[in-house]
Amino acid sequence: MTSLLRIELRKLLPYSTFWVLLLLQCSLVFIFFYARGHILINGKMAGAELYQFPKLWMHLTYISSFLNLIPGILMIILVSDEYTFRTLRQQVIDGFSRATLVQSKYTVILLLAFLLAAYVLMLGLGFGLYYGENTAGTAVFTDAQYVFYYLVQLVGYMTFAMLVAFLVRKTGLGIMVFMAYTLVIERLIHWQTPDAIDKYFPMKVLGALTPSPHAEMEQLMLGITDVLTPLQALAPVVLYITLFCFLSYQLLRSRDL
Amino acid sequence: MANVLDIQGLSKRYGSVQALDQLSIKVPEGSIYGLLGPNGSGKTTTLGIVLDVINASAGTFQWFGQPSSKSTKRRLGALLETPNFYPYLTGEENLRVTADVKRTDHARIPAVLETVGLAQRKDYKFKGYSLGMKQRLAIGAALLGDPEVLVLDEPTNGLDPEGIVEVRQLIQQIAAQGKTIILASHLLDEVEKVCTHMAVLRNGKLKAEGPVSSIMATSDLVFISGGAPLEALLQIARTLPFVTEARQINQQIQLALKPETDSSELNRAFFAQGIALGQLVVRKKSLESQFLEIIKADSV
Repeated sequence: MTSLLRIELRKLLPYSTFWVLLLLQCSLVFIFFYARGHILINGKMAGAELYQFPKLWMHLTYISSFLNLIPGILMIILVSDEYTFRTLRQQVIDGFSRATLVQSKYTVILLLAFLLAAYVLMLGLGFGLYYGENTAGTAVFTDAQYVFYYLVQLVGYMTFAMLVAFLVRKTGLGIMVFMAYTLVIERLIHWQTPDAIDKYFPMKVLGALTPSPHAEMEQLMLGITDVLTPLQALAPVVLYITLFCFLSYQLLRSRDL
Repeated sequence: MANVLDIQGLSKRYGSVQALDQLSIKVPEGSIYGLLGPNGSGKTTTLGIVLDVINASAGTFQWFGQPSSKSTKRRLGALLETPNFYPYLTGEENLRVTADVKRTDHARIPAVLETVGLAQRKDYKFKGYSLGMKQRLAIGAALLGDPEVLVLDEPTNGLDPEGIVEVRQLIQQIAAQGKTIILASHLLDEVEKVCTHMAVLRNGKLKAEGPVSSIMATSDLVFISGGAPLEALLQIARTLPFVTEARQINQQIQLALKPETDSSELNRAFFAQGIALGQLVVRKKSLESQFLEIIKADSV
C-alpha cells in the first residue's frame, strides 16, 4: 500500500489540475461555512448559533457535503487521464495486475478523504474557537464523529466517481454521467420508489452520513421522509464502497486496456 | 534451446473482425524474433495479448514455460504501440514512476537515459519531446530493470534515419548480451537487417515462421515463353514434379521451382515434351517481392 501511495504521489504532486481542484475545494468549504454564518436572520448573525460546539460539527459537515462534487470530479479526471495517457496499459505491461490498478486509485481516494476531513476538522476548530462561546475542554470534540462520517462519505463519493471513470473512460463524459446520476437520475428514482427502499440507494445513504441540522424543521414543512441515521448508514456505505471497487476491478478485467 | 515465449492457437475477434486467427509461434531464447506484417495484420494484437493488456478470444501462451504473472512480467521490458507516459512529468520523473511500478532500483535511470541519448533532456517535460524522443524514452523505460526479454513494437516509428540506425545498433548490442528481443515491424528491411528469426503475419494468420535465412531462401523465379502456346506451356509446367507454382503473367509463364532445382532441368523437361522454349529467364527474387509473395499467398 505504501509503495502504491508513493507511485501515486509521484504522479499527483507535480500535477497542477490536482492542486487547483484541491485549492478550490478548500476555499469553497471555507467560503460556504463563513458565508452561512454571516447571514443576518432577524437582525442576528446566524453564526452565533452555527459556530457553537458541539452543534458546529453537524453544520460544518452538512455544508461541506454539498461540495463533494469537486473531489468526485478530481477522481474522474485522475482515472480518465490514465486512459488518455494509456498509462494504465503501460503499468499492466510493467507488472501491475488489474487489482493493483484499482488499489492504487483507492489509495488516492483514502489520501484525499483524509486530507479533506483533516481540513474540515481544522476549520471547525478554528471557527469554533474564534466565534464560539462554550470552548471549555470536552464540549469541543463532542459530536466530532461527524467529521468521521464526512470522511466515509468522501470515500463513498470518490469510489463511485472512480467506478464511473473506469466505466466511461473519458473525462468530459465521465463528469457528465457522474453529475447526471448524483444530481438527477437517482432523485428521479427516489421519487418513484417508496421511502423504505430508497433510503438504501447509494446517494441517499451517503447523504444520510451528514444529516441536515434542521432535519426536524424540514420534516415538519416537507413531510416525514424516512432516512437512516449516520450510524445506520455506515454499514450500507461500506458495502457500497466495496461493491464499487469490485465493479471497477471487474470492468478492468473484462475489457482490453 | 528453451523457448522464451510459446504461443498456442491464439485468436482475437473485435466484433466481426478476426484480428488474430489461430496463431502459434515459439520464440527461442537468445533470438531476435521479428514479427513482420503489413499494418493491421495482428502484430500489436499478438503482443498486446502476451503482454496481458488484451484479452484473447481463444488460445494460450507461456512466458519462460509459465503462465503470465507478476514475476514473468518483471523479466520483460516492453514498448507497445505508442510511448505511454505522463505528459506533465519530465522524462526522468516518468522513468521514476516506471521503475517503481517495476520495483527496480532508481540507480539505473541515469545510465538508461544515457543509453537512449536523453541525458541532456531528462528535465524537460514529456509533452515537449519530439516523437523520436518519446520513442527513445519508451525504449529506455523498457530497459529499466535489466530485463531478459525486450518486446518492441515498431521501435523505429517516428525516428529520423540517424535515430533508426541508433536504435538498430542498440537492439543488436542488447542481443549480444544474450537477451531475447521480440520485434514487431512492418518494415521488411528492418527485420532482415536485425532479426535472426521471423514470423510473417497477414490478416491475423501466420504465413511463415522460422529462421530468417530459411524463409528468405525460397526458390528463384523462372519466366518462360515461346515454342508453344502459353496454355500448353502452362499445362506441361504444372505436370512437372519440381515446379511448385506456375501461372501466366502477361505474355509469359512464371514458374517457381523447388529449391536446388537447376533451370536447365526445366529446359530439358520441355524439350522431352517436344517443345523448344523460345525464352527462359531466371530472376533472383528481391526481398520485397518474396515478402509480398508470402503475405499475398492466401492459399496457405
